Amino acid sequence: MTAAATSSLRKDRRATPPFRRVLVANRGEIAVRIIRACRELGIATVAVHSSADTDAMHVRLADESILIGEASAAASYLRGDAVIAAALTTGSEAIHPGYGFLAERASFAKAVEDAGLVFVGPPSGVIAALGDKLAARRGAAAAGVPVVPGTFEAAAIDRPDAVEAIVAEAEKIGFPLLVKAAAGGGGKGMRRVTRSADLPAALAAGSAEARSAFGDGSVYLERVIHPARHVEVQLIGDREGTIVALGERDCSLQRRHQKLVEEAPAPGLTPAERRDLHETAVRAARAAGLENAATAEFLFDLERRFWFLEVNTRLQVEHGVTELVSDVDIVREQLWIAAGFQLSDEVRVAADRAAEPARHAIEVRLSAEDPAREFAPAPGTIGRWEMPSGPGIRIDTAVEAGARVPPEYDPLIAKLLVVDATRDAALDRLARALDETSIDGIQTTLPFHRFIARDQAFREGPMSIDWVDESWPAIAANRRSAALDVATHAAAAAVVASTADREAGMSDESPEGRGSSAWARSGRLRAIERLPR
Amino acid sequence: MTRLVHVGPSTATALPGDEPRLVGASDADDTVVEAFGPGRWVVHGPGGTDTWALNRPARIDRDGVTTVEVVVDGWRFELEVEDAARAALRRRATRARDTGTASGPLDVRAIIPGRVAAVRVTVGDTVEAGGSLLVVEAMKMQNEIRAPRDGIVERVAVADGQTIDNGDLLVVLR
Repeated sequence: MTAAATSSLRKDRRATPPFRRVLVANRGEIAVRIIRACRELGIATVAVHSSADTDAMHVRLADESILIGEASAAASYLRGDAVIAAALTTGSEAIHPGYGFLAERASFAKAVEDAGLVFVGPPSGVIAALGDKLAARRGAAAAGVPVVPGTFEAAAIDRPDAVEAIVAEAEKIGFPLLVKAAAGGGGKGMRRVTRSADLPAALAAGSAEARSAFGDGSVYLERVIHPARHVEVQLIGDREGTIVALGERDCSLQRRHQKLVEEAPAPGLTPAERRDLHETAVRAARAAGLENAATAEFLFDLERRFWFLEVNTRLQVEHGVTELVSDVDIVREQLWIAAGFQLSDEVRVAADRAAEPARHAIEVRLSAEDPAREFAPAPGTIGRWEMPSGPGIRIDTAVEAGARVPPEYDPLIAKLLVVDATRDAALDRLARALDETSIDGIQTTLPFHRFIARDQAFREGPMSIDWVDESWPAIAANRRSAALDVATHAAAAAVVASTADREAGMSDESPEGRGSSAWARSGRLRAIERLPR
Repeated sequence: MTRLVHVGPSTATALPGDEPRLVGASDADDTVVEAFGPGRWVVHGPGGTDTWALNRPARIDRDGVTTVEVVVDGWRFELEVEDAARAALRRRATRARDTGTASGPLDVRAIIPGRVAAVRVTVGDTVEAGGSLLVVEAMKMQNEIRAPRDGIVERVAVADGQTIDNGDLLVVLR
């Protein structure tokens, strides 16, 4: 056998598992998601966890688990050295980082490679190149991809004499514009500026926030495209350089750059527009030398133009909607690719069909957040936990009744996904599924999703990315106040009923099987939540 | 027999503008509250035409105040239910105390658990309503804790990096 032949890609797919043992460097629903894929492939799994997660679902589902530190993420899930040590101790061959935490830290991927382990994701050099949003913008523009108008070099904010030049450049780009962090993500370091007078202060504030969040204070300018939808393309590539698009997702419902609802395909695109978008995304990825799974993000404006934003070199939270539409298990595919296999036939077939999808999937993120208080975190202990089931429903979660949602981590507690033949049918299914969902003990984003699932405007098509920040607060206040009205009367009725029980010598503790004895009357009950009859 | 009860959101879930209400409730006739599996209560409206699903798990009786958790359409409330006559009595007592200390100190307490990421004021600072007092980091988010009214900082009860729980005293304004 020649050297070229031995280094060519392995094609003996599925004869044996891609790895014997994989360490999952994450927590929550995504750790559970990855462990499930490993188990299906016959791969043993190692979980790492903090002291706050000793009883967490990912720890219980894994074959073994290693405690790597205290509750705070910095002392545990962000400790790359501890994760790599745990992988070496347990004889793991590969590390899957999930999303968040270490997933897009090029230095971590490099350390994994240097330790002789496989990083399930793109090579560290590609993560570094694409993680620098400025370098990614330059690379995409050089590959002929339309990028959002703005600057291509870091603003020299430490030199007072340069401020004038930046302001002049900003006026050329046009206001309003965004100050964005080169190392950014999740809206950190981002500032919206409407006039040149405010620019110097926004640059300083954005840069300071970026430095504290990412250790890099580089910022640049980007024009605000408004109104716009957020459309992103799921990419997957092997070591041979074959890169395909598995379809696109619309994630326009966001608040402060955090996604709330995602769907695939993006509604209202023609097959030709889809093909063009997919091809553009593949071109950007190829220019960067991408391998494994990644996502190219674009803004879609009213003139139906796509503008490149960035490439995320990780498995996305919302990968499931693409899985439901394409029939590809992206996590499994990541593991095969990381082990040196070619793209599977399933991926190639799905990519060929990606411009004319036959199904529609929608995901809502159920988070421990208060939708009436600007989605402020609402950690606590879950009481009731009833998830929907039935046709076309998928739940990705790592919590259950009685589980604690710790304040140290991301507030996402479950992803509810639905799939059906058309978007209309998928929305009906989503509304039905959300009616079956019941959670107490903590406030969640359920009220927001219930509203969206039946909102006529959303049914006609996704709103602009600013819709939640601009329009939801007033809707939330109205809906919460109507709910409080019903809750007030229900609370009164329930307390009076239980008092009447006690006075009648009945126990309040086992209320089952009481039939329909009239217990309490409560005035002015109004329709908020109707059980399907 | 109809009873008049006083119902108001507990401090854990109340938002500005949530007013306590007087509600008439009786244990007779056409509206029923019925158990529907452990902890789930269903209220049938007049004539039996409407059915509402309400979650009503643990309740705590304290000094004649019953705290009930109710989740309606995904909105979670902790409501304090108290006999109307008793509530009126208590309100009078509280009002008397309030007038005595109209310009008295105001405790600013944590509404979310987390970690203090930054303390923006020191003792003696003058703050305006809405001005930032400190930043609490919870679930990767920076949350500004703002002054509910104008005042002077009398005490800062927490320090940078400290872990805090719901209801912990943060700052005292006078």
